[in-house]
Amino acid sequence: MSALFPGTRERAVLHFNVADFAVAVERVADSSLRRRPLLVAPLGAARAVVYDMSEEAYGEGVRKGMPLRRATRLCPGAALLPPRPELYARAMRSFFRELQGYSPLIEAGRVDGHFFVDVTGTHRLHGPAVDIGWRVRRRTRAALGIDPIWTLGSGKVVAKVASRLVKPVGEYIVAPGEEEAFLAPLPVALLPGLATRERQLLEAYSLTTVGALARLSRQQLLVAFGPRCHYLHAVSRGIDDEPLRPAGKGPETLSFQHLFADDSNDRDEVRTRLFALADEAGAALRGRKLVCRRLTLRLGYADGSEASRQALCRTGAAGDLHLRQLAVEALERAWTRRTRLRACTLLCDRLQPRSPQLPLFPECAEGPRRAQRLQGAIDTLRQRYRQGLVGIGRQGLAGGG
Amino acid sequence: MPSSTASGCEPAAPARVEVRSGAAGGRPAALCPVMVGTCGYSYSEWIDGGFYPPGTKSAAMLGLYGRAFSVVELNYTWYQMARAESLARMVAAAPSHLRFAAKLTRTMTHERDERWQQQLALYRQGIAPLGERLVAVLVQLPPEFERSVANRTYLAALLDGLEGLPTAVEFRHRSWAVDPVFAELSRRRVTLVTVDAPALPSLFPPLDVVTNPDLFYARFHGRNLEGWRSGNMQKKFNYDYSAEELDAWCAAHMPALSRGAASGIIVFNNHVRAQAPRNGAQMALCLARYSGAGR
Repeated sequence: MSALFPGTRERAVLHFNVADFAVAVERVADSSLRRRPLLVAPLGAARAVVYDMSEEAYGEGVRKGMPLRRATRLCPGAALLPPRPELYARAMRSFFRELQGYSPLIEAGRVDGHFFVDVTGTHRLHGPAVDIGWRVRRRTRAALGIDPIWTLGSGKVVAKVASRLVKPVGEYIVAPGEEEAFLAPLPVALLPGLATRERQLLEAYSLTTVGALARLSRQQLLVAFGPRCHYLHAVSRGIDDEPLRPAGKGPETLSFQHLFADDSNDRDEVRTRLFALADEAGAALRGRKLVCRRLTLRLGYADGSEASRQALCRTGAAGDLHLRQLAVEALERAWTRRTRLRACTLLCDRLQPRSPQLPLFPECAEGPRRAQRLQGAIDTLRQRYRQGLVGIGRQGLAGGG
Repeated sequence: MPSSTASGCEPAAPARVEVRSGAAGGRPAALCPVMVGTCGYSYSEWIDGGFYPPGTKSAAMLGLYGRAFSVVELNYTWYQMARAESLARMVAAAPSHLRFAAKLTRTMTHERDERWQQQLALYRQGIAPLGERLVAVLVQLPPEFERSVANRTYLAALLDGLEGLPTAVEFRHRSWAVDPVFAELSRRRVTLVTVDAPALPSLFPPLDVVTNPDLFYARFHGRNLEGWRSGNMQKKFNYDYSAEELDAWCAAHMPALSRGAASGIIVFNNHVRAQAPRNGAQMALCLARYSGAGR
């Protein structure tokens, strides 16, 4: 029988997704919010944008990232709340604890209510994967008051697409072997991981469904999409062997983000915020005796597009000044448009422990040692009082004082 | 892989046994075809349990299952709404002799939704591809669903909504074990499911009342008393029926069931460690012995 391949086991990946996570958590915290549309957005800023919105507000046309003024015009009866990332992170941790009993392979999203759980081979302990999905949903509804979508697929892509289909509530089981037939009639935009440019190309070639994409060979895709042809070829057929990346198991990345209350293209303001992020990153790295060898800057423009560039440091960086230099280097290359910025994110990866080795010729290392001592003194002051107390020239003191 | 075909069966219909209802009592024989199967078929656990060969892919399971059994109860339709496109693909790939029972979605039984009528309409559309191969829609009601006025009203409305479909009702609460309920089910030609489960006073008793002359439906959940109370599915349905227990069940229940119905379904729900298919095969042999067809 052709379908028999000894030694292989089909994967069972569950995807849990709490639609409008921030709204769901806020409604658990205050049940009176369930009765009306809800917008979560920074308050008091003239050009604040929507952080999250309830399904009712979505129905009125409100979208994430939309200017709050426009959102309130579209949905005038909505309640307004400021985002509380700490509360959402706590809810993520509680949800994670519910899942931990079922599998050690859990990949969590970025405080957005998304979890992938690989339950392959757990049937002896927990029964069929569908039953795990159902039980987790029932349990989180009872214990946490949130109602996640759950879907089951043979990989992350299929499970995620299924989630998108049933949003905001429901479940979807895609049986192993059904992936290609399941994906074929769906709009290609439902596939995760497509860049804006790729979407534009797909549209230009009138490849509107996943099935249309799946009919193209790898060579045909290579012409239009270059090296991405391999991903598109596999994903359009529902082939997805990508393993889950449990927190703490994969290469670690430290992430620091600033959301501009008002979109900005003021170079001084952007640099000041970027320096603050670099200092924050430096404090985190030094606190863990780490250095990063790659720094990525991701800029989010007001029109929703993104740009990111990297700066490398072979020996590793952890000092504020060094990280600032790398951040500016990345900024110069990433910021190529006049459009205002909405967010900037600094990602530090390729982390490694700081080398304890002393220099062979101490007199040559006097400069760096002085810089290190200065940095140590600044860190001590910041730890004792607060991060913004001592700054380096041109940064300004965050929060005054 | 276990397989059994008793005389009087279609050659391509394994585990389909014609039981002589008078075989035990010496009364005139009336043939009653009985289809044997399991609750669900797609369990990776059944590869480890030896029912499916090592390395079997899910897509190949139904074909292999059909070599051993003549009916399958689809239980994934309890977890999610039946979807016509995926059921159509499944039916097209299934062996031609295989018949299907489909569990009603939980949003109409265990987690009743306010919009259950819309759900029912979706369900009817979803199972449409099963067509003539659908032998029953299984309405399994939760243990807390007792015989109250509100629940009776709901059940009546639900059965109205299922009219035209072969329907079977499995009660878990013993309050439904009363004659007026049986009379109403008989009037509607709805099958009362005969249940084999641990002997717990709160559970619906194991009756052999036939309320539908077309079909009897027996479900074997296993008799793991401790597991039943544990709340853990793997413990609850971890039970291996012995040949003696199956023989005794046949002797106790088959005369009445096969006398009252023109055909029957027997399914095993003790899926843990592939005990359900093993017991299903044993049951087919047991029925064949019982009817005298296997001699």
